[in-house]
Amino acid sequence: MAAARKRILKEYTECSNDTPPGMKINFDEQNMTEWEILMDGPEQSVYSGGHFKLRLTFPNEYPFKPPVVSFKTKIYHPNISNDDKGSMCLGMLRPDAWKPPNKVISVLHLVRTLLIEPNVDDAIEASIAGEFKDNKKGFEKTAKEWVKQYAK
Amino acid sequence: MDPPPQQPAQQPQTTARDMVFCHECENEWYRDEHGLSCPECQSDFTEIIEDDNDPRNATMADSDDDGPPPLSAFHHHNPWNAPDPDEDDINQLHWRAGPDNFTVEGVIIRDGSSTRRVDPLGHDLHNPVARNFATMLQNIVGGLGQQNASERPRGSPSPGQGLNDRFSGTLPGGNRFTYQRTVRLHPPDGTHPGTHLDPSGDDLNGLMEHLLGAAMGGTPGHTHPPSGQPGEFGQPPINPLAAIFAQLMNPGMAAPGDFVYSQEALDRIISQLMEQNTSNAPGPATPEAIGSLPKKQVTMEDLGPDGRAECSICMDEVTVGEEVTQLPCHHWFHQPCVAMWLGEHDTCPHCRKGIMDNDKPKESTNSSNSTAAASSGSSGAPATPSRQQMPGTFGAGTEENPFVVPETPEQSRLHAQQDQRSSSERQPSPHSVHSDGDAASGGLGERIRRGLFGAPR
Repeated sequence: MAAARKRILKEYTECSNDTPPGMKINFDEQNMTEWEILMDGPEQSVYSGGHFKLRLTFPNEYPFKPPVVSFKTKIYHPNISNDDKGSMCLGMLRPDAWKPPNKVISVLHLVRTLLIEPNVDDAIEASIAGEFKDNKKGFEKTAKEWVKQYAK
Repeated sequence: MDPPPQQPAQQPQTTARDMVFCHECENEWYRDEHGLSCPECQSDFTEIIEDDNDPRNATMADSDDDGPPPLSAFHHHNPWNAPDPDEDDINQLHWRAGPDNFTVEGVIIRDGSSTRRVDPLGHDLHNPVARNFATMLQNIVGGLGQQNASERPRGSPSPGQGLNDRFSGTLPGGNRFTYQRTVRLHPPDGTHPGTHLDPSGDDLNGLMEHLLGAAMGGTPGHTHPPSGQPGEFGQPPINPLAAIFAQLMNPGMAAPGDFVYSQEALDRIISQLMEQNTSNAPGPATPEAIGSLPKKQVTMEDLGPDGRAECSICMDEVTVGEEVTQLPCHHWFHQPCVAMWLGEHDTCPHCRKGIMDNDKPKESTNSSNSTAAASSGSSGAPATPSRQQMPGTFGAGTEENPFVVPETPEQSRLHAQQDQRSSSERQPSPHSVHSDGDAASGGLGERIRRGLFGAPR
C-alpha cells in the first residue's frame, strides 16, 4: 500500500505536469486513491460543450490491479455503462489486460480518445453500439441531447 | 285482419292443394283444411306457399327471393339458440378462491351438429373457442400480477391426444370441452420471479417444473390441492431444486418477461464471469522460478535517451550499477516489484511472456540474444518465435492473439516492440490504444462472443 501511494503520488505529479487537454484533476492528498477528474467533452466529438465528472479509483493492489474509471455524469456512449456506475472497462482497463507499467496518464488519454472515437467492437452497451453503427445520426442526436440534459 | 283477398286470385294455382305458412309460429297447414288463419296461434300473418315464392326462406334470413332453396335442416332453426363462440358456450364458470390461490373453472359445451351446420368449417371452431377462453383466463389471472403460477389444463377427451394437443389439436365434433386452470398466488419475492402463463409459449419453465416435480415427488400444480394449505401462506410451494432451476432459467433476477437472449445481457454475464473466473489468465509463477531469475546490474545502455531509467512497476528511478531482476524476455524490474507481480501472474509485466516455460529448452538461446538486446537498450525485445500458449486456447493461438496462428519472428518482434512503446511512451498514440484493446479483447468473453455472434464487424 505504501508502494502504491508512492507511485500514485508520482503519477499525479506526472499527470499534473502534462494533463490531457480539457481535463482537470482534483487530487486529495488525504485520500489519494480517489481522483476526481473534470473533463470537457473533446471539441471534435459529439460531447463537445459538455462537462463530465469522472472518478478514478485506485485499488489497494495498484499498480498490480487496474484503476477503475467511472463517469459520474451520465453520458450516452457505447463503452460507458448506462447505469448509476457509469463504468468504463475496456482495453488496458480490463483486469486481465492490465499491466503494471500502464500509467494513469495513458488511462486519461484512453478516456479522451474513446469520447472522440467510441470502440463499438468492445462495447458495454450493445444497443448504443448498434445505433452508432447503423444510425450514426440518431446516435449523435441522443448523445448531444444527453450532453444538454446532464453535462451542462 | 283478414288475408288480402286478392292474394289467392293473383297467384296461379300450381298445386292441387294450397299450403299455408304462418309467419308467426312457422306452422304449416292445408288451406282447404284450416283456411288462411293459423290454427295454432290464430295469427293472420300467413302466406300461401308457392313453388317460386316460398315464405319459409324469409324466416331464416332477410332473404332474397332469388337465393337457392334452403336446406331442409334449417326449418325451425332459431339462430339465436346456436352456440355463440363469444359467450354462450361457457355454460359454467366457477370461481373458487382460497387463501393463497384461486381456481377458475369453465366448461364449454358445444352442440356439434348445429355447429357444423352453422359454420361449414365445422370443428375448426372448437379450438379458437378454447383458445379464447384460455386467453381470457390468462388475462384474468395475469392481471393480478401474481408471481407464480402453474397450469393444469384438462385436455381433450379423445384418448390418443397428449397434453400438447389441448390447444392446437382438433376435438371430435359435438363434444364437451373442459378447460381447467389452477393458479397459485404468491407474494412477489426475488427467489421466484414467476413463470409465464401463456399455455402455448414458454413451456420450458413449466416443463422443467413438472419434470423436476415428478423427479422430486412434488410439482406445485399437481400435488397441492387448489385450496390453500394453512401455514403455507406466502411460501412458494416449489421444491428447492426447482427453485434453483427457476433461478438458472432466469439469471440476473430478470423481471418476468425479461430475457437474457440479447447480446447486451450476455455481455454483462460474460463480463461478470470473467471477473469471477480468471482461469484464462496465466496462473502464478512458482517461488522457485521467481527466485531463480537472474540478477543483473543496470548499465548505461539500460538508460533511456534522457539518461534516466526507472522500474516500470514502482516508477522509482534506478541508477547505473543498481541490481535488478531480469526476466527471460530481458525486461528487468526491481526484485520485490516483479516478485509481487509474478506471484500472481506468470507473465512479464511488459510483454506478458511467461517465465516458467523458459526454465526448460530455450535457455541456451538467451546468451546470444542478450547481447543484441543490451545493445538496443531497454526497448530491445527478444525475437522469440513462439509465444506462450495460453491455457485453454484452441489451435496455435498465442496469449495476446488467441485466434491467430503463431507469428513469424519478425511480426513477433514488431509486436513486442509496440508493446514496449505503448507502455513506456508517455502519450500513447491512438494506435497503441487500439492495439491494447485488441489484445484485451482476445479473452474468454470475446472468444465466446465470436463463437456465438461471429467475428466483430
